[in-house]
Amino acid sequence: MLKTALLTLLSLAIAIGGGGSSVWYALQAQSGVGAISIGQWTAFPEIGTQNADPYSKARVAREGVLALGKAEGLSFIAERDAAGDELQRQCDYRIEGGFPTARFWTLYAADQSLGVVDTGKPRLAALQSYQVLRQPDNSVVIAVGNRPAPGNWLLTGGFGRMYFVLTFYDTPIASSTGLSDVTLPRIVKAGCNA
Amino acid sequence: MRRLLHAILLGLLGAGIVHIVVLLLVPEFTERDAWSRLAMASDLYKMTRLDAEAGGAPVVKSVDPLFYAAACRFDLAEGMVRIKAPGSVPFWSVSVYGRNGHNFYSFNDHTATGSKLDTVVLTPAQMIDVRRELPEDLQGAIFVEAPIEEGIFVIRAFVPDDSWKPIVEQFLEQSSCELQDY
Repeated sequence: MLKTALLTLLSLAIAIGGGGSSVWYALQAQSGVGAISIGQWTAFPEIGTQNADPYSKARVAREGVLALGKAEGLSFIAERDAAGDELQRQCDYRIEGGFPTARFWTLYAADQSLGVVDTGKPRLAALQSYQVLRQPDNSVVIAVGNRPAPGNWLLTGGFGRMYFVLTFYDTPIASSTGLSDVTLPRIVKAGCNA
Repeated sequence: MRRLLHAILLGLLGAGIVHIVVLLLVPEFTERDAWSRLAMASDLYKMTRLDAEAGGAPVVKSVDPLFYAAACRFDLAEGMVRIKAPGSVPFWSVSVYGRNGHNFYSFNDHTATGSKLDTVVLTPAQMIDVRRELPEDLQGAIFVEAPIEEGIFVIRAFVPDDSWKPIVEQFLEQSSCELQDY
């Protein structure tokens, strides 16, 4: 009798614990259902729409996201560099390559909550396409780090995990057909302040 | 031993069911969605800044740091709502969300006449009424038909650099979100 009760209890514990924590885990992850990955960059084109999958819908509800509409833009998030290592705030990176068609784009270094990182300096840890210098072939090279760099410099600082958020505004790639042959810039680690 | 295995298997099956149920219930029962957060910050038909720049923590998370944003909540059951913002900024875009945070309409300044933000959100039934006789002052407005009652309207405006801050701030401050009598 006791054995049956214990086994029932075990079943219930596995069901409730496992079910609850697996939902929590799935909603924490940056990748997942509905994600489109291009290089190191991940986007959720369907997030915040009626067609979104249940995971995106739950994420929208739980985090209070008001996702960008299709006519507004599309956000990509990177959490790893080209070598597959997690992005760190104490490291320097180089973001280089071409950017897809858009009226303009913005790039910022984000912390875990996807807010801009607080460097404690007046300069914002963000760049936008009207202020960057371009190579002769129209590609862009951006130095990321806490020391000023020639050319385009994205300020970061501090310690811990970091994300890059790259958002294209008023862009044809936001309609899903445009996403098939888009290339996004590479993120290369240049060094770390250990 | 077989009964233990049986219990674990049953537990895993249950976990799958709980996973699906919890996932589908999260949007129904959350108190952290955009609507609830905005409700805590301000009333219906009141433009509220979403970014942290206006002081305090950001109301809605992950707004681009190079953007200012404002939002108002509306209820179409009370009548149609008109959103206007004078002045010109480098880029603005707007989105209409349902109460559940689902975006069902968005456009940007290239869509609007003369880049002026002047739009009316209304239900299809109200649209039929308005079509019958279009009031003079609604001629230039963009009509957004929304099959919802409660919703959120968000204006986002681009701040290319610090010198644009006062202008964009003013643009959002002067934006209005009010019930339109008809």
